[in-house]
Amino acid sequence: MDESVRQEWIRDFEAAARRTLEERMRYAFIHTPKPVLDDAPFRAFATTAEYRRWCEEHLPSWLGYGRDV
Amino acid sequence: MAGTFEYRQAREITGAFERHHVRFLFIGKSGAIILGYPDTTQDADLFVEKTAENGRAIVAALDELSFRLSDQDRREVETGKDFVQLRDGPFDLDLVFAPDGIETFAEAARRAVVVDGLPVCHPDDIIRSKEATGRVKDRESLPRLKAFRDWWAARQKT
Repeated sequence: MDESVRQEWIRDFEAAARRTLEERMRYAFIHTPKPVLDDAPFRAFATTAEYRRWCEEHLPSWLGYGRDV
Repeated sequence: MAGTFEYRQAREITGAFERHHVRFLFIGKSGAIILGYPDTTQDADLFVEKTAENGRAIVAALDELSFRLSDQDRREVETGKDFVQLRDGPFDLDLVFAPDGIETFAEAARRAVVVDGLPVCHPDDIIRSKEATGRVKDRESLPRLKAFRDWWAARQKT
């Protein structure tokens, strides 16, 4: 890893540590509609593998829930 | 559509789950953010112990938090599916009964960290679960998350 990138990350971590948890959460949680994922009020999967498979088969690849884009 | 997850709601979840004696931990990127990791995410993920007693307690706590559940939904939570997505409440919530890469809830609970009263998986467990998924979005975030884990661990010692 490029050392300058790592140092930039460290600066990010230190800056975040100066904020309260409430402030950190205000900046961190962003709600945007997600296609397919948000279409049902409730989904339950018997196994985690079944959930992963459903994500691969039903979600647009650009959401990043699959193993490949 | 549900609103953005907020600090106030993290406290409300924790309060309701504790009142109903739910065994749970924040996990995933939402857990990392509570630990101090600066990044963005959309919803909260909770690792919940997979027992019938815990399932019943979760349903009671979700009722208190105004999540809308059908009788079938309640049965599915109580009988312990491995993964449950809730999109019909005050905020989006994923209940993870069997996260990839973590053997048991008890082990994760032993290693857990409490931040401002919120119980969170140890960063090593968050990383283990993300490594095990193999998802694109997790692979992309892991180098920075590992750098955070190292920085966080060093900070705990000072």
